[in-house]
Amino acid sequence: MATVLIEDLTKVYPPTINNPKQVQALGGLSMSITGNVFVAVVGPSGSGKTTLLNIVAGVELPTSGSVRALQEGVPARVGYVFQEPRLLPWRTVVDNMLYVQDRKSDRSRREAEFYLQMVGLGDVADLYPSQLSGGMQQRVGIARAFLVNPDVLLLDEPFSHLDALTGRSLRDYLQRIWLQSRKTALFVTHDVTEAVELADRIVMLRPGGVTYDDISIDLPRPRRHGDPAVRDIQDEVLRRFDAMGAAVRFGAEGV
Amino acid sequence: MGAPQDLGGFGPFDVRPTAEGATIRERLLRSPPFIGLLALALLLLIWQWIAWVNTRVPGIDEIVRFMVTEMSGGSHGGALTGEFWAPLATSMQRYAVGLAIGVPIGAALGLLIGAFRWARGLFNDTVLVLLALPAVVWAFLAALWFGLSAWGPILAVVLTVVPFMAVNLSAGVRNIEPGLIQMSRSFDVPFGRRFVHLLFGGSLPSGFTGLRLAFMTGWNSLLIVEWFGATSGVGWRARFWYDALRYPGFVGWIFLFVILITLLDRLLLSPLERRAFRWNQQPTLTFEEEL
Repeated sequence: MATVLIEDLTKVYPPTINNPKQVQALGGLSMSITGNVFVAVVGPSGSGKTTLLNIVAGVELPTSGSVRALQEGVPARVGYVFQEPRLLPWRTVVDNMLYVQDRKSDRSRREAEFYLQMVGLGDVADLYPSQLSGGMQQRVGIARAFLVNPDVLLLDEPFSHLDALTGRSLRDYLQRIWLQSRKTALFVTHDVTEAVELADRIVMLRPGGVTYDDISIDLPRPRRHGDPAVRDIQDEVLRRFDAMGAAVRFGAEGV
Repeated sequence: MGAPQDLGGFGPFDVRPTAEGATIRERLLRSPPFIGLLALALLLLIWQWIAWVNTRVPGIDEIVRFMVTEMSGGSHGGALTGEFWAPLATSMQRYAVGLAIGVPIGAALGLLIGAFRWARGLFNDTVLVLLALPAVVWAFLAALWFGLSAWGPILAVVLTVVPFMAVNLSAGVRNIEPGLIQMSRSFDVPFGRRFVHLLFGGSLPSGFTGLRLAFMTGWNSLLIVEWFGATSGVGWRARFWYDALRYPGFVGWIFLFVILITLLDRLLLSPLERRAFRWNQQPTLTFEEEL
């Protein structure tokens, strides 16, 4: 069983030429995730969501505090779905999958193809990313994250660059594939709708990267877009954000 | 892209958005090889005209006749006989050896400079100095160091090729999208695989630019070194006829040089480049399509 322990996590970016003031992305964030749950971290821009995932993935170091992602006491294997597909344009789809895979064998190619089929892309293995649409590339990104058999799945607003319809169909894919594996998932988004549709728990951040609120969602899956129960929780989350005075930052998005 | 619109009265700069539905004649007139041939024909015509008004410039017919005599080993008058294959083979051999040494060294250096800060500190300035030095300096230095042996021209090719490969490949590595590097790190992709697929794959476009430049400048400096410091090869032969005031020979050998380098680019590098870039399926916009 995977555990993610985040204790008093602070990240301050030093001043740069473009931004002469130092920026505090996370300011003493603490939370813990245990077991096969899907946790959404929701917050407006500047609440340190991406920074949090980068630190959990080990690609950025915290200024202070600690993050431990463990699987049975040893460092957990992480699968990351980024905002953009981040595929090597000069490699075919299947080679992009194998690039992150541990072993190189027929079996890993079969596994890669299996996950591609799971996201509805069984026939594109030998195409190059430029031959796919943005939504298809993002689906490859999702399949790639599942291929490494991660203990912890990190998702950084993976649908934010897609149009609403494509985003919705990808959420369905994600939900379906997640239900089969039930990996510990940490999903950051600024979109309350997708958070409520996907997550067992929503952690709300406020600007400056501090936890504001924590909501559990106990709705049956798969959840459908527009379902009244989903809508009720959405309203509740937005009401709490309103109380924080941060709703203006969302604009119409996610409502 | 839809069907071509009927734009009515065409002005001199109006073009149809696509070649779809264009007649064979229209397509031919717009095809790059045809335009290239047209440009070549025009150039030769201008050359011939200059030769006609200025007697110091040899005409194309003279050049061709001279080179045919060179190739057939016939007599140029007096004791001078044609010589073609030996100088050509000598130069090609030096060129090939120089490239075989210089290209891998330059590529490795470029990847190192692009990927590691210590390598940048260590080699970057040296490479820039190499890049800034004109080939003629290598010609004199090589002649000083090696006398008139084959190593002078080879060294000159190596020293010209290395910085072009290094500068372009290092720029290529540094232009790799940071998001891809972050992705590789988050998935713990091992170094070897990262080197081959990310670093090498990502710097291939600049690598090809470097290779093309290296092929051209390498050939250039080979000729210059042979001109000043060799007793064989294409450069030496061109100078031989220059010193003998036989301009058709001099210009003929220079032409040969241009033709060879063009053939090398078209027949070897271009197909290789197309193969390496088959992943880039997005059609390149031509000027008229952008309009």
